[in-house]
Amino acid sequence: MEMEKKIGVYICEGCGIGEAVDIERIRKNGVPKKIEICRNHPIMCSPEGLELIKKDIADEGVNTVVIAACSRRVLYDVFDFGPVIVNRANLREGVVWSHKPQEDRISGEEGAPQVDQLIQEMAEDYVRMGIAEAEKVLPAEPYLEETINKKIMVLGGGVTGLSAALEVAKAGYEATVIEKTGKVGGFAAKMRKQTPSTYPYEELQAPVIDQIVKEAEAHPKIEIRTGTEIARLAGAPGIFDVTFKPAGTKSAWDVMSPEEEAAILEKMAEEGEGEEAAAKGGEPTPDSPATILVKNPEAESFGAVILATGWKPWEPKIEPEPAPEAESEEAKKAEAEEEPKEPEPTFEHLGLGQFPDVVTNVAFEEMAANGKILKPSSGKPAASVAFVQCGGQGTDEDFPYASAVTSMVALKQAKYVREDNPDGKAYIFYQHMRTPGQNEYFYKSAQQDDGIFLTKGEVVSVSGNGDGSLVLEAKDTLLGEKIKVNADMVVLGTGMVPMTKDEPVLNFAYRQGPAFRDLELFDGYPDSNFICFPYETRRTGIYAAGCARRAMGIQESMEDASGAALKAIQCIESAYRGVAVHPRSGDMTFPDFFFQRCTQCKRCTEECPFGALDDDEKGTPLPNPTRCRRCGTCMGACPERIVGFADYSIDSIGSAVKSIGVPEDDEENLRVLVLACENDAYPAFDMAGLNRLSYSPLVRIIPVRCLGSVNVVWIKDALSKGIDGILTIGCKFGDDYQCHFAKGSELLDIRMDKIGEALKSLALEKERVQQVQIAIDEYEKIPGIISEFVETIQGVGPNPFKGF
Amino acid sequence: MANSYLVEPDVNFVKQLKTMGGETLKKCYQCATCSVVCPISPDDRPFPRKEMIAAQWGLKDKLVGNMDVWLCHHCNDCSTYCPRGAKPGDLLNAVRAYSIQKYAWPSWLARIVPDARFWWLLLGIPVAIFLFILGVTGHLHIPEGEIEFAHFFPTLLVDIIFVPLATFWIPLVFGIGIYRFMKDIHANAVAEGKTRRKELNVPDFLKTVICTLPTILSHNKFSQCSQNKGRYLSHILVFFSFLGLFVVTNIFFVALYILRAPGPYPIFDPIGITTPVKLLALVSGIGLLVGSLLMLSNRLKDRGENIGKGSYFDWSLILVVLGLAATGLLSWFTRLLHIPSLAYPIYFTHLVFVFCLFAYLPFSKLAHLVYRTLAMAYSRYSEREPCE
Repeated sequence: MEMEKKIGVYICEGCGIGEAVDIERIRKNGVPKKIEICRNHPIMCSPEGLELIKKDIADEGVNTVVIAACSRRVLYDVFDFGPVIVNRANLREGVVWSHKPQEDRISGEEGAPQVDQLIQEMAEDYVRMGIAEAEKVLPAEPYLEETINKKIMVLGGGVTGLSAALEVAKAGYEATVIEKTGKVGGFAAKMRKQTPSTYPYEELQAPVIDQIVKEAEAHPKIEIRTGTEIARLAGAPGIFDVTFKPAGTKSAWDVMSPEEEAAILEKMAEEGEGEEAAAKGGEPTPDSPATILVKNPEAESFGAVILATGWKPWEPKIEPEPAPEAESEEAKKAEAEEEPKEPEPTFEHLGLGQFPDVVTNVAFEEMAANGKILKPSSGKPAASVAFVQCGGQGTDEDFPYASAVTSMVALKQAKYVREDNPDGKAYIFYQHMRTPGQNEYFYKSAQQDDGIFLTKGEVVSVSGNGDGSLVLEAKDTLLGEKIKVNADMVVLGTGMVPMTKDEPVLNFAYRQGPAFRDLELFDGYPDSNFICFPYETRRTGIYAAGCARRAMGIQESMEDASGAALKAIQCIESAYRGVAVHPRSGDMTFPDFFFQRCTQCKRCTEECPFGALDDDEKGTPLPNPTRCRRCGTCMGACPERIVGFADYSIDSIGSAVKSIGVPEDDEENLRVLVLACENDAYPAFDMAGLNRLSYSPLVRIIPVRCLGSVNVVWIKDALSKGIDGILTIGCKFGDDYQCHFAKGSELLDIRMDKIGEALKSLALEKERVQQVQIAIDEYEKIPGIISEFVETIQGVGPNPFKGF
Repeated sequence: MANSYLVEPDVNFVKQLKTMGGETLKKCYQCATCSVVCPISPDDRPFPRKEMIAAQWGLKDKLVGNMDVWLCHHCNDCSTYCPRGAKPGDLLNAVRAYSIQKYAWPSWLARIVPDARFWWLLLGIPVAIFLFILGVTGHLHIPEGEIEFAHFFPTLLVDIIFVPLATFWIPLVFGIGIYRFMKDIHANAVAEGKTRRKELNVPDFLKTVICTLPTILSHNKFSQCSQNKGRYLSHILVFFSFLGLFVVTNIFFVALYILRAPGPYPIFDPIGITTPVKLLALVSGIGLLVGSLLMLSNRLKDRGENIGKGSYFDWSLILVVLGLAATGLLSWFTRLLHIPSLAYPIYFTHLVFVFCLFAYLPFSKLAHLVYRTLAMAYSRYSEREPCE
């Protein structure tokens, strides 16, 4: 999209800007001569100031506005002039609020304002950078698919899935519920009772699932298919193509692993058929399914998916796995290099498998639903039952995947014991009794029962008494010693494992593979950012709810279903309008690829945290814009620099970098470029300014969409320009990552390693380019981070390329 | 670690404690705020956190015979600060009541005394005995002339009843109780590692009893309570009044049987010793009355917030002491005012109260006089607390 740019620059003097810097000098040094329209105003956001801008737009034909005032994070609605491009130069938070003038740096010509020279230079730079960037920015236009299907597929017919379908239907959308087993209702239909959902939250209540099933089955907008699984899910939000198959069968449309596919394609290539042929392919069969390049013409179309596949019980391991013998020296070496995995705890000492009266909480629930609780060994009533939440790990932890649900279930089942037998005794051994919110009332009510005995403690063994009863031994209890308890039955409180952990479930026909990616980051849960963006998974358009998202009870699952339903609807409507659904909700821009120069290196395909890119028949990356979250990781990854957004491109940021004024032959006045993630780091800088925390005026900060979008060419540009150091600041990564795009800051960290090598070859010090992690609330660390880096750079000395 | 302890919860014990004032015991969730705020708990193995879970699990052997239960003075600082409203102070009070019953002999009497259903029987026993003796000896009428209680109820008859009570009955019952109690608390202390002394050495232990007396007399444990300051005052009043009355009774016992000087003695007797003794009696009587009234009003005002609602076991003792003080003073005053129609019946009632106090002492809450003293001494004997 080409357009004749007419740029207007508007400098605000308010909020302390006019006092701290010389506006005239900004106009002289910061605004290139070619810019015809440049105005200043005491308060640019005032009606008079805005009128000034509007008048220029109307009368002078200004179509690109650079506002040098406050941060782009504030007053964006005030400085909105419709189809006009707006760019902001942050003089308030970024310059005058965050820098204290120093006496020794204050000077100025006679008659002109006396200002701190470094602060002045900073302001001039920001205006120049803002203009340079604005020159390269294009107006955004939405990406519109030809057709958008607004039907929602709900995967899983348990309490979450049915509740989600009902929410979808009540909102006026159609829902199709896919259930693997022969019957809807899920585990909720196999319970004796459920924990309370209404005041006073003390008594167990009859399961609500029957009512939900009836309602869902009767609703005209809901279709329920049982005994059905997904063979493959292709396409993208708004245009998903789903192929179903009878549960447990093989299908010609099953998705192979990327490795299997690669092997097939390679074989076909050897036989001279090539990938194009594979795309057309012969008739796929269950034993030789179609590759993901093949589109099933009979697939059904959906707009979004609610993932309500729930959980499976965590099975305590009984036998310790024998250590696999390394086959070769190499394998042994590789094993030694791998980080030693924490061995999964084993529980043979808890008697599961050895004594029929030791069962899991899932088995116990099914027994309870069938009537009075009887000992499996003898069929006699179980008068005393010990509920074990932990044991054998030697740590302060409950069994893996234990949660508030396992705590509540132990309390609930203890009440069953008391219901069935007035003299019954129920013991609960836990490391953590998790009863958040209203559940606390239920805990209290169970606690009030004279026959329910609770203690923290670790169960170390379960053995037989010889008379058919069991004896359980526990240590570190609240009773202050190692204790033994006789019990008719022992119930192990095993946790809930998300279905996504071990099975692909959705069978994505995506280049990145049939399962969710990076599942290890969240113990097999498919979330993309659990804290900030609930329901969103690592695949756009798929919204997890209920126990697929985290362990939760019936009531919570029903509430969660509403959230996912609304999110799915939002996704469809966003796809319909051609805007991003999240986290950059409403963003009209999307990555544009200049494929003529693509070398098919597939770095973008590999690195995209959301699997937005597939391949076309020729092996060229194939974007799926509605899968995209607009983080720009593809742009940062591309070595050919052929990816860009209308308002955010290699050129727009690169131009801003190149327009930074770098003083030559000045040992003291060095320049540091900061590329700050707009999600946490850039707001932290704004907050530092808001709190008048002062940092070095030698830095120039440019916000980026995500550190994943940082292309190394910007760093090269900066170094060749003579900038002395580059600091990238982004979100925390690793186990407790805070990156909005899951992997962005981590990916840049990997790229930075390579930059280090490149620097070395240029005889530049590695310290010149660094990465720091910060959270939004850590703004008080900003001055320290900046001064530490500036000192490092001052220690290393000026960039030798200065002036070249 | 030592051998495992086989836990066998006694649900009936839990239920019993609940009916004896510990009805909130199940609310505890073991945060240990109680042990932290308790001003008098020892640093080593502090109470009452561990007692709370023992009570929830119905572990009788960890509570009855546990000296810590007796170290507690029921300040209720713990109950005030308990975030769950579990009232550990009240629970320990209930355990003490239970323990008194358990250690007392004979057990049927131990069961009847704290049982509200039998109050009429307990009062009826002395009434019946007195009426029988008065009837047999022909004294069952209000005597003519100057009021002299001996004319109505001959001193000898009184002493035939009360001297054996005081010198035989009380020591016998307490003797049995003390034997069982000491055996248990020592065994418990050894089992729970509260003492290094495996054997209970009686002379050594008696020494610690003596070194405990200053603490008891000065009430300086009780005075550390920060809730219930009022209880400290009422308790110290009642305590020293009883002590005063004990002294007075003994002096007049000596006067009667050794000096052979029968009463009534004049109040104003400038040369004799009777004036100070009489004054002591008056002061003690008033002290007892005021002290017990204070206890009553403290509990009524509190409405179970800090002091605990209390059970019949608690209330009956206060009422007996109040009745004792009131009838004692009233019988004296009505005598001096020459109202025989009031003086004699009140005196009769007074004797009934005295009988109740004496005969039921080892079964009533007042037994804490012995058990708490022993537990405090044992705490020093086991070196959990220093001897003063």
